[in-house]
Amino acid sequence: MRIARPLGGAVALAGLVLLAGQVYLATGGNDALLRAALVNVVIVMGLQTFIGTTGLLSLGHVGFAAIAGYTTFLLAASIQAKAITLPDAPLGLADVSLPPGVALVVAVAVAATVALVMAAALARAPDITVTMLTVAFLFVVHALATNWPELTGGTSGLNDPGLRLTSRTWLYVGVVVAVVAARLFKASRAGRLAIASSEDRLATSAVGVSVPWVRTIALVVSAAIVGFGAGLRVLSLGSINAREYYFGFTFLTLTMLIVGGKRSVTGAAVGVALVTAVNEVALKAAADNERLGGLPDLLLGAAVIVLMVARPRGLLGDWELDHLLPRRRQPPEPAAVALESAGEEASTIEAEDVAVAFGGFRALVDVDLVARSDEVVGLIGPNGAGKTTMVNVITGLVAPDAGQVQIDGHELTGRTPHDIARAGLARTFQNLRLFPDLTVRENVDIAVLSASRHRADRPAPDVDFLLRAAGLADRQERRAGELDYGSQRRLELVRAAALRPAFLILDEPTSGMSDVESAVMIEHVRATAAAVGAGVLVIDHDLHFITSICDRIYVLDQGEVIASGPPDVVRHDPKVVAAYLGTPTT
Amino acid sequence: MTELVQQVVDGLGRGSTYALLALGLAVVFGVLHLLNFAHGELITICAYVVYALSLAGVPWWLLAPACIVVATLSSMAMEAVAFRRVRNASPFTLLLTSFGVAILIQGFFQIVVSPKPRKYDKPSWVFDTWTIGSIRLEVADVLTIAVTLVVLAILVYVMRRTMFGIALRGAATDFDATRMMGLRANRAVSGAFALSGALAGVAAALILMRRGDASPSMGTDYVLKAIVAAIIGGLGSMAGAVVGGLVLGLAEVAFRAWLPDSITGLTDGFVFGAIAVLLVLRPNGIFDVRTAERV
Repeated sequence: MRIARPLGGAVALAGLVLLAGQVYLATGGNDALLRAALVNVVIVMGLQTFIGTTGLLSLGHVGFAAIAGYTTFLLAASIQAKAITLPDAPLGLADVSLPPGVALVVAVAVAATVALVMAAALARAPDITVTMLTVAFLFVVHALATNWPELTGGTSGLNDPGLRLTSRTWLYVGVVVAVVAARLFKASRAGRLAIASSEDRLATSAVGVSVPWVRTIALVVSAAIVGFGAGLRVLSLGSINAREYYFGFTFLTLTMLIVGGKRSVTGAAVGVALVTAVNEVALKAAADNERLGGLPDLLLGAAVIVLMVARPRGLLGDWELDHLLPRRRQPPEPAAVALESAGEEASTIEAEDVAVAFGGFRALVDVDLVARSDEVVGLIGPNGAGKTTMVNVITGLVAPDAGQVQIDGHELTGRTPHDIARAGLARTFQNLRLFPDLTVRENVDIAVLSASRHRADRPAPDVDFLLRAAGLADRQERRAGELDYGSQRRLELVRAAALRPAFLILDEPTSGMSDVESAVMIEHVRATAAAVGAGVLVIDHDLHFITSICDRIYVLDQGEVIASGPPDVVRHDPKVVAAYLGTPTT
Repeated sequence: MTELVQQVVDGLGRGSTYALLALGLAVVFGVLHLLNFAHGELITICAYVVYALSLAGVPWWLLAPACIVVATLSSMAMEAVAFRRVRNASPFTLLLTSFGVAILIQGFFQIVVSPKPRKYDKPSWVFDTWTIGSIRLEVADVLTIAVTLVVLAILVYVMRRTMFGIALRGAATDFDATRMMGLRANRAVSGAFALSGALAGVAAALILMRRGDASPSMGTDYVLKAIVAAIIGGLGSMAGAVVGGLVLGLAEVAFRAWLPDSITGLTDGFVFGAIAVLLVLRPNGIFDVRTAERV
């Protein structure tokens, strides 16, 4: 990754936070409020690295904060203080007192470890279940914290005035570390892949990325940053109380994150500043009147609703401070290398006796299919013939009831979609699955990133050449979702090609296109496949399209292969004619 | 044996209110894909209405219908004011909007009434018991289970036999297709919120008759239980919501009975831990109603 710009932006952002803090103090600000805000910057950075990249809503990060907070306190508090508040502390903790820095490091490690265990549970779960599991996690942590007073002091809390940091310097250092970590994570390989997975999970697996793995990394990094913030909070206050780590704090920090824009690290810092300011004004107004204690909640709730209605992506969207920094000129790209398949061994996909039934409906019946990477193979048939099901079996989205699929003798059946993509099968989808909020270039870069690790043995295609061939060279910075339909289709093909595949598997690439657009698409498929030296397996129900592009054709009808061979032969096969035009009744 | 029957009745009593709340969540989720965190605030609103009316001397047989009316109207108001404006947004946006609504209402009651709980008089008979042989049953439990059964019967009739119910089921299956058939989107969504609110109103009346106080953030616990029930049942499935609610109620009673006295405070922790395990094993709940994604 090119880290100069994000690093520069993050340092500048952290500098602005520090400057704002000092200006606030110089103008008669409140020290306790500033400390709280600085700690919150760290914690919200932690939230950003998970929620902002994976797009999953976690309500449980305050649980990580509680775990790290207690760890810090229990390890760092003086033995005298513990003798008063925790005389019965288990595990010999009553006799431990580590330097605060060491306690903080241990706390971060503990939070990260717990996150790793959590990740095992939630990495594969559906989005809404992930949210629920995080709620359950917060519940369990909170129940333990309130009901295990021998360890946590319960709702009366723990206190050691000697622990309290007198200087703000460490909080400032914490802010710099957290901001830089969050920004670099977002720019990192894992961060970018996580963002892709939040746009379209299936498409992300289809470019060879393991979504559970990416989510795991994001969760562990984010729990570590949140834990770091919570440790700093305990060291800053010298105390901890179970009541502070529950839904109130969850909602506060979440609001801070989304106000600025959950995808933006800069936005996270802006959000902390704005929400803190609003809260402060509301609390001042409430100071004379006990009843107005609900004012911050009222304002925060209203702010969230207005924001979700008017700007669901937050004030800054995914904008970052470093977007202001000048872009370094790209080094000159190497000249387009034509990658002929010549010299390379041709790969072969072999499907044998594949059968799939959905309930009582037999979608595929003992289908055999062979495709070589030096040919273009068509799979054709009327609607409902089982074409897409066959492609889904090959690419791992549907498990066959019987039969197997191999590439060059290696078993593909039973492997995950991302694993199959890594084996060289790159697919497109009938109903288009781009990352709509990412730019054209970023869409392709996700595949490039994945290929650079998992397809490193094959030469990298010239992405600029592919984009030019797709007529997208001048629209690289546009969001993919804004492109016209034909361009989106071509972009999806470029993304698949950037994966350095042995095979391009195209599910109805011309569906919904006019004849003129289809003709352009045919040329584009040919050119792209030639440029990356991949074979093509293409599904369509358009006989004309298939016969004009394919070397060989398989015809499916009601789940069975009824004919196969060169286009000219197949086109005149009576069974094919019957399937397409209907059997004459006699 | 005697004790077991009592525990089961106790569990079904608790579970019934969770089931009613979870059903309301499922109805709205089916149509909008919104998991409504502000659903619990319907109980809070009812609680303050009960508090105000009982101060004025209104008897319980009038308070219960009042809860249903108030919850229905409040639910429709939430939709008209907030959720209508984010209807086609991502699930993340919808969820956060409902969070915003919940917090806003909590802040409102803190300011308008008080951050402290307000007590009202419970009906005198709630903790009465009936004795059948050696089994003692709480009137409140029996009433809760009976009312829930009646409500479920009505609900099944409405969903299967009335145009309103059929339209709602259609909208839950394919909202756009149902609109093409001439169903007005606003009316369908508003209807879903009304039904969801009415179910919450019944649950509120059953919960409030034995609770005895109103406080600004009381809704959070109930909505979390209801969400858990809806999810373990299989989000969007109405049968699942009922089963999920009953399972949750029974699990709570079981854990409370089996855990040693010194750690009964951890009951919720254990229940949520057990549910987390269930969700790991069956990520889409007991009744998996996901429609296969078309690719």
